[in-house]
Amino acid sequence: MNKVTLELPARAEALPPFRTQLQTWLQTAGAPQKASSEILVAVQEALTNIVRHAYGGKEGKIDVCYEDQGDRIEIVLRDYGESFDPSKIPAPELPPVKPGGLGLYLIKTLMDQVEYQKNHEGNRLRLVKFKK
Amino acid sequence: MKIHQKQKEEVQIFELVGELDFHTSPGLRDKLHEVIDRKIAKIVVNLKKVSYIDSSGLATFVEAFQKVKRYNGKLVLSELEPPVRSVFEIAKLDSVFLLAGSEEEAFRLLI
Repeated sequence: MNKVTLELPARAEALPPFRTQLQTWLQTAGAPQKASSEILVAVQEALTNIVRHAYGGKEGKIDVCYEDQGDRIEIVLRDYGESFDPSKIPAPELPPVKPGGLGLYLIKTLMDQVEYQKNHEGNRLRLVKFKK
Repeated sequence: MKIHQKQKEEVQIFELVGELDFHTSPGLRDKLHEVIDRKIAKIVVNLKKVSYIDSSGLATFVEAFQKVKRYNGKLVLSELEPPVRSVFEIAKLDSVFLLAGSEEEAFRLLI
């Protein structure tokens, strides 16, 4: 299965089972172990940001699409909450001197491409990781 | 996530099993703070059976580390698996925390 689309509720408890599902799919797609681990962390961080910031704990949905494009894995997350442009967030001080603020940094560091778009429907985050 | 807690001599040891994320970190935070509030000076967290950590997990350890440091205690993280260790390295936290490869090494670092 090269492409999977699904809808997740924007709730913290929905994330671990989704992560297990994505991990299994990444193995099937032939993603190396290291790339797979990095994708899982980045996607988790992006989903956490949507739950915490875009929806702020309110009910909502996240449309998820992940696709094996041969040499790369592409993941697209869509939400319909508050806008949250990752490019507008400054890099954290490293090592961190206070808890928090590392999620976006991890996403940008672990993925090869990170693109954010906002339109009248909501937010779209596209994450790409090359297999090698 | 399962959190096993035991005491060996004056060292409080936490053994974690599972994944440490946005959903499970608050539970660990509560357990760590029960110990930190008692100003226990020597704490080891064994991460051998933790397969995954995200920024919420890192934040839990950063907060605990800072609080323990305030009363001159020590917090050692031991036996990090490669996927977990690499997240610490990306955040440059491997230079901040006391990281041990084994429980014996963790006890040496507490001296």
